[in-house]
Amino acid sequence: MTTATAEHLRHSVWTTYVFSTDHKTIAKQYLAQGLFWIVVGGLLAGAMRWQLAWPDTKVPLLGEIGPEVYNMLVTMHGTIMVFFVAMPILLGAFGNFLIPLMIGARDMVFPRLNMLSVWTFALASLVMLASFFVPGGAASAGWTGYPPVSAKPVYTGVTWGINLWILGLALEFASFLMGGVNYLTTAIVLRAPGMTLARVPLVVWQQLTAAALFLLSVGPLIAGAVMLLMDRTLGTGFFSPELGGDPLLWQHLFWFFGHPEVYVVLLPALGFVLEVLPVFSRKPIFGYRWIIGATVVAAALSFIVWAHHMFISGMDPRLAMPFSVTTILISVPFAYLIFAMIATLWRGSIRFDVPMLWALGFLTMFIGGGLTGIFNGSAPADIYLSGTYFIVAHFHYTLFSTVFFGGFAGVYYWFPKMFGRVLHGGLGHAHFWLTLVFFNVTFFPMHHLGLAGMVRRIANPLQYDALVPHQWINVLATYGTLCLLAAQIPFAINILWSWLAGAPAANNPWNATTLEWAAPSPPPHLNWGARVPTVHRGAYEYSVPGEPLDWLSQDSAPPARTETGSPR
Amino acid sequence: MIAHVEIPGLPAGIAPGKVAVWWFLASEIMVFGGLIATYIVFRLGGSGWAEASHHLNVTLATVNTLVLLTSSYTVVQAFVAAERRDARAVRGHLALTILGGFIFLGLKAVEYTTEIRAGFTPGTGIFWSFYYMMTGLHALHVIGGIVVNGAVLATEGVSVRHPHRVELAGLYWHFVDVVWIFLFPLLYLA
Amino acid sequence: MTTGKPHPNYTAIWLWLMGLMGLGVAASFLPGGRTLAVVVVFAVACVKAVLVAANFMHLRFEPALIYALVLIPLLFLVVLAAALLPDFVWHSVSR
Repeated sequence: MTTATAEHLRHSVWTTYVFSTDHKTIAKQYLAQGLFWIVVGGLLAGAMRWQLAWPDTKVPLLGEIGPEVYNMLVTMHGTIMVFFVAMPILLGAFGNFLIPLMIGARDMVFPRLNMLSVWTFALASLVMLASFFVPGGAASAGWTGYPPVSAKPVYTGVTWGINLWILGLALEFASFLMGGVNYLTTAIVLRAPGMTLARVPLVVWQQLTAAALFLLSVGPLIAGAVMLLMDRTLGTGFFSPELGGDPLLWQHLFWFFGHPEVYVVLLPALGFVLEVLPVFSRKPIFGYRWIIGATVVAAALSFIVWAHHMFISGMDPRLAMPFSVTTILISVPFAYLIFAMIATLWRGSIRFDVPMLWALGFLTMFIGGGLTGIFNGSAPADIYLSGTYFIVAHFHYTLFSTVFFGGFAGVYYWFPKMFGRVLHGGLGHAHFWLTLVFFNVTFFPMHHLGLAGMVRRIANPLQYDALVPHQWINVLATYGTLCLLAAQIPFAINILWSWLAGAPAANNPWNATTLEWAAPSPPPHLNWGARVPTVHRGAYEYSVPGEPLDWLSQDSAPPARTETGSPR
Repeated sequence: MIAHVEIPGLPAGIAPGKVAVWWFLASEIMVFGGLIATYIVFRLGGSGWAEASHHLNVTLATVNTLVLLTSSYTVVQAFVAAERRDARAVRGHLALTILGGFIFLGLKAVEYTTEIRAGFTPGTGIFWSFYYMMTGLHALHVIGGIVVNGAVLATEGVSVRHPHRVELAGLYWHFVDVVWIFLFPLLYLA
Repeated sequence: MTTGKPHPNYTAIWLWLMGLMGLGVAASFLPGGRTLAVVVVFAVACVKAVLVAANFMHLRFEPALIYALVLIPLLFLVVLAAALLPDFVWHSVSR
């Protein structure tokens, strides 16, 4: 590998840090962009909540907010959190960083395509950012962009904002299509000797499933987005009844993608938790093959549940029953996953390190979101609940668990490997407990608020007499939000301080078995020095009976015994 | 870049580039397929579509279909020539393929101009909205294919040493052809 | 790679494609009900597509994974079209 090292030495600052083709650097570029956008998305949420708690007052930095500006806050908060925070961090950063390392490869199969994907994402970010500053402001038709509000500028007063929103999303889709192709091809062709599919760690399986889900579901929305752009700019009538079109078409095309998309967001974070739980229970993951099977089944089912987002859309009522059935069905593989995680913990030797706290937080909070999902999936219940704050509570219990609890489990677990530094434990504990408490303070009462009849996307709850007695919940949720935002400060301090001046990390601070811990922290360019590792066993050999250590790394020498039992 | 690898558990000899291109084509099938499925459903539920389609120029479109089908033939012959290390034949067939793409675009431009001059714009009716959208998106993909084929032609020295590059470019071009195979009858003949 | 594998007779396939195209165009001029013409025209298109995919795109010689990448999207598209039928074709309420 001397030629490669010599080549590496010829790299300038530009090709090492800016125009890099190294998957680890690209991962950090995705992470940096995601962290920028999480600040923007969080501040938008703060502004929204301030308006809802105290509608007749000025929101700091924004002044008095009317419905138009409020709609813009809501729209951009949703769009940013799903497409510019969750996807780049969970899928872009961790997928890029982990997949080659965990399968024993030196980089992705197509490193230059990888670089193109992160730069396309940067372009998408610029376009989205620009949309805030154009005349008319940013998009305000909801992150779901339903026509006619989104198709006809007369309803929102927004012209360029929504066009740029469509363009920015199109670029983001292109970025993740490129990335997805890279991930899937790399995992198929670049696995190290001995790394059979049955020995690939679960987080990689989850990343691949998410990539495939995205690749296969985004197509109809791309078609729909082009239609929307044409309706807005060329006078076509895809979504206008007076021209022969139908607004319902958009909803079908959007949600056909929209539902698999939430699993695109969920699966990587689920993967982080599935990695963390065995390490900090010193036990193998329960039911490795069944977990993969359940994930694939859930992914397949996710293509036939979408109309549960449309129960009150005015669609044909005959669609309600089949989609309710499929939606209830999809809870089965997810229930299996939850049970498998609990079974992994059962009788384990639990260490409450910070990554484990986040993983346990994910497990408990996600169960809450999953349970309310069962109510929402049943059409008769959903007809009442849809469009209310009950739904807002549901998807925050699922999405927030995913992005924050699952995401931070990954960040705290792999930070030593990515940056070669150790994160401060005390700050990590503070970050976790404060987030857990204020997350629940903010979102749990919203279930009640939704049942009491508060609908989504209204700027001033006090306009409705029936909501006045429940306004205390809005105020409480806003205090919770502000504290939740403040709770992220220990993390910001921690990550900056540790990155710059933290204690150096060992190769394997957690005594974990997967391949990335066999590389230095951080791994060098091309990951594996002179020779790629050879894999001898599965990824979860913890507390194997008869072994002196309670963990066996995937690449350590095979057992001296010559029994003919199949190696796991 | 790796050209050929052995993978445990998979039949020997599947090139990474081919896996990647097929994953990409799978997502493209969802784009055009979603569009076509929507068109079919709308058309089944609507009326007046057949009359609107009578204003299209079936002759020009038939010629275009012929051109595109033949260009699929020439691009696969370019692949065969690359396997034979016949650089002149590779250049010739790729050039013919690119020419086919340009002819297609040219005839499409003539169609569009005639139709717009006759007053049929994207906003004229729902049939026309779909017509311009589907053929427009397809035409953009033809342009992309011309660029890809052009890049392979420009680096034909590399391509002769690695025939699978021609094959991969061809895969994308064939896909663009298959989409037209469906657009032609759906828009012009039905 | 498909190098080293037997090639189909590309010229023969091209001739079939030309012929089928002619057949499709001719069928669109069939007298009588539109339904038969539309069915024939669409069937011809499907045959042409399969010929191009199997032969020019070498699907006949590829492993199962590649086949799956074509079949699974088609399956999802059938689901999408089926779910769109009630709202846009089988109107239960007049629009």
